Amino acid sequence: MSTEAIPVEKPKRNYNVLFGLTLLALLVLLWILLSVATTSFASANNMANLLRQGSMIAIMAVGQTFVIITGGIDLSVGAVVGFATVVVAMMINAGFPIWLAILVTLLVGVAIGMFHGFGIVKMGLPPFIITLATLTSLRGIGLLMTNGNSININSDTFTAFSRNSFIGIPNLFWMVILVGIPAYIFLHHSRWGRYLFSVGSNAEASRLSGVNVQRTIYMAYTLSGLCAAFVGVLLAARIGIGNPTQAEGWELQAIASSVIGGTSLFGAVGSVHGPLLGAFILATINNGANLLNVNSFWQRIITGALIIIIVYFDGLRRRGK
Amino acid sequence: MTSTAQELHPAPVLEPGRTILELRGLEKRYPGTHALKPVDLAFKSGEIHAIVGENGAGKSTLIKLLTGVMPRTSGEITWEGQPAALATPHEAMALGINAVHQEVVLCRHLTVAANMFLGEENSRFGILQQRAMVRQAQTIIDDLGFDLPAHVTLGDLTIGQQQLIAAARATVRGTKFLIFDEPTAYLTRKEADQLFTLIRRLKGEGVTIIYISHRMEEVFELADRVSVLRDGTLVGTRNIAETNDAELVKMMINRSIEQVYHKEHFTPGAALIEARNLSGKGFENVSMTVRAGEIVGLYGLIGAGRSEFVTTLYGRHRKSAGQILWEGKEVQVNSEHDAIKLGMALAPESRRDQGLCLNLPVGFNLNLPIYKRISNNLLISSTQEKTQADRQIADLRIKTPTRGALASSLSGGNQQKIVIGKWLAHGAKLFIFDEPTVGVDVGTKAEIYRLFGALLSKGAGIILISSYLTEVYELADTLHVFRRGKLVATHGFHAASHEDILTQALAEKQEKLGGQI
Ligand SMILES: Nc1ncnc2c1ncn2[C@@H]1O[C@H](COP(=O)(O)OP(=O)(O)OP(=O)(O)O)[C@@H](O)[C@H]1O
Ligand SMILES: [Mg+2]
Repeated sequence: MSTEAIPVEKPKRNYNVLFGLTLLALLVLLWILLSVATTSFASANNMANLLRQGSMIAIMAVGQTFVIITGGIDLSVGAVVGFATVVVAMMINAGFPIWLAILVTLLVGVAIGMFHGFGIVKMGLPPFIITLATLTSLRGIGLLMTNGNSININSDTFTAFSRNSFIGIPNLFWMVILVGIPAYIFLHHSRWGRYLFSVGSNAEASRLSGVNVQRTIYMAYTLSGLCAAFVGVLLAARIGIGNPTQAEGWELQAIASSVIGGTSLFGAVGSVHGPLLGAFILATINNGANLLNVNSFWQRIITGALIIIIVYFDGLRRRGK
Repeated sequence: MTSTAQELHPAPVLEPGRTILELRGLEKRYPGTHALKPVDLAFKSGEIHAIVGENGAGKSTLIKLLTGVMPRTSGEITWEGQPAALATPHEAMALGINAVHQEVVLCRHLTVAANMFLGEENSRFGILQQRAMVRQAQTIIDDLGFDLPAHVTLGDLTIGQQQLIAAARATVRGTKFLIFDEPTAYLTRKEADQLFTLIRRLKGEGVTIIYISHRMEEVFELADRVSVLRDGTLVGTRNIAETNDAELVKMMINRSIEQVYHKEHFTPGAALIEARNLSGKGFENVSMTVRAGEIVGLYGLIGAGRSEFVTTLYGRHRKSAGQILWEGKEVQVNSEHDAIKLGMALAPESRRDQGLCLNLPVGFNLNLPIYKRISNNLLISSTQEKTQADRQIADLRIKTPTRGALASSLSGGNQQKIVIGKWLAHGAKLFIFDEPTVGVDVGTKAEIYRLFGALLSKGAGIILISSYLTEVYELADTLHVFRRGKLVATHGFHAASHEDILTQALAEKQEKLGGQI
């Protein structure tokens, strides 16, 4: 038997990096094209706007990716964002300190995620169903709490945050970094991240290898709920109101960002940087289409086509590897 | 008569018939692996042609090329004198080439009958004739002598039974050329005998058979000729009457093995685990003790309750009665997690369903049980992750281009090595190996048995489940025989004969068992 030396390189990691670079190249290409095609795209104002819009989807996409890696899906995140704007708005208007209002809102997100974990692990419900149920009922609860009205937030300190910048970069984008770095370490360098992958690949084998599968699933949905609630806080700050019907359809944008970023809906494949780039690619397309006066109906079609193209090429290369 | 095969191999070759299928320069490259270097080989109609070789030698790859499951990189295939593209499974089937693959590739959620007619359903005006299909399937199954119902869901059968269904399925499709890739790996002796009867009958009907196995005695029992692959190269073809075990092993691994079953006897130490009147799903009232330094073998037919018994010890299933004692103290094992904390390790029987994360890297799979140990509170040590994985890959000679290759790209036997290898660095005290050498080649088997010895010498105890009697017989210090969920007999090392043990496991007189079991 020819015992071959075991080479040290890691093809999978290389592949991840390569794919990330391709996405980055695509993003830069879009930016260059749009800067040439329109006068307003490269303006500081528009760039800040783009970063703000992309940031929120990006943070949701990170949480969503954790869930998708375990082989699940979280359809509730858009509704959680809307609900979170209501919670944080009501608490601030009721006179609670801002830090407390934010903390409670985040805990609400955690609780919703735990509930999803409970439904999946203990009640045996499919992730699609339990998160779909939360999607509709959370909007309902939010509407009950507000009587269907919007709540104007009466704290300028709170709303100023999301309009301001730090060393020229919008605060909201700093939040992406705040979430992205720990998320990266968690997913790629901690054992809990490994467990997300192993559960997504084969839950039974993971179990027999001593992985606490139930806790891993709880963790994924809790993190997704937490990310969504955090985005809710950011959104409330950005537009200054709490309204449960906001962020309609954002769950689909988060899922799309994740998938464009190389996450496999079959589970066990995904990264943190991919969905982040995916979110900004989507945001750029929407922003660019607006500037080019492309009919908003067309924007949706383009987004759909883009998802198919990117995922198709990703799949081709994965197989051809 | 001259043929290329004969010129290459001076040994006079028996001619049971004309050449039905001929390969010239057949080659297959996967990214990173040259799985099959150009191979020339001719199959004669009506022969049983065995193919043997180490794990990863390229046997399954050869089969995948012949059945159109994968495209070949280069080379020619001639079928009955005509060049054949064999680009799709459909084309292969149209010619009459069928295969029973190493891993069962049927639909687990469909019934046995639906699986047997999959792709060739019997329908009238577009409506499936379900009842007629079940009836036909049952007739075929009965006719083959398999004692299996046609109306149940395939997933409810044991892997061995599924394999029999796969064989039955292959025979009903106007087959002229039938390939078996390690069909007996999951079969009990009785089921294997049924399969052999079927194979001989097909041969009698003029069907050409390729038979792949790691079990030499089966090769000698069945085959007319045998070809040996090593590292993707055809080393030679022999008439079965003109070769022997030792020669084939030598050809396979390029060295000889004096002793496969390497058995060291240690003085057993204190009891590690004890089951007292334990009952649960699939077994009842089982009592046994495993002590440090001993191998306790569990023999029985597949479905006799051995796997259920050990998975209950391991906390995967709940016990319904009885006690489990760990190192003399009663314990509640409510989850796998509890079991692992106590110091147990389980290498389960089905590598696909229970053993591996197939779409993740080899190194990932090997490290999965020990990620806790190789990380601090937060981060995984990437150096340890690398060295641990590479050590198992080297120790067990897992054939993979890198530790980053996906587990699914490894050959069956090499996947099995991961299932075992992932526990070796774990430091457990009690190892439960459920069919550990299924599909593993003879050289590696010897390696694994040696590892058992090393584990025992460090004070570990082992529970070894095998449906392959020789294996438990040669290795177990204590051998328990299971039958229909009950422990029916217990023997010391070599204290009973093969025949007695078989009789106890089957509880019926076996007329024809042959010398080798
Ligand atoms: N899909 C694949 N992608 C990449 N490499 C592969 C793939 N399938 C098989 N290989 C490699 O090709 C080689 C031959 O594999 P093959 O499955 O033919 O071995 P085998 O002789 O059947 O072994 P075993 O006895 O273990 O079943 C191995 O080194 C394996 O890792
Ligand atoms: Mg094989």
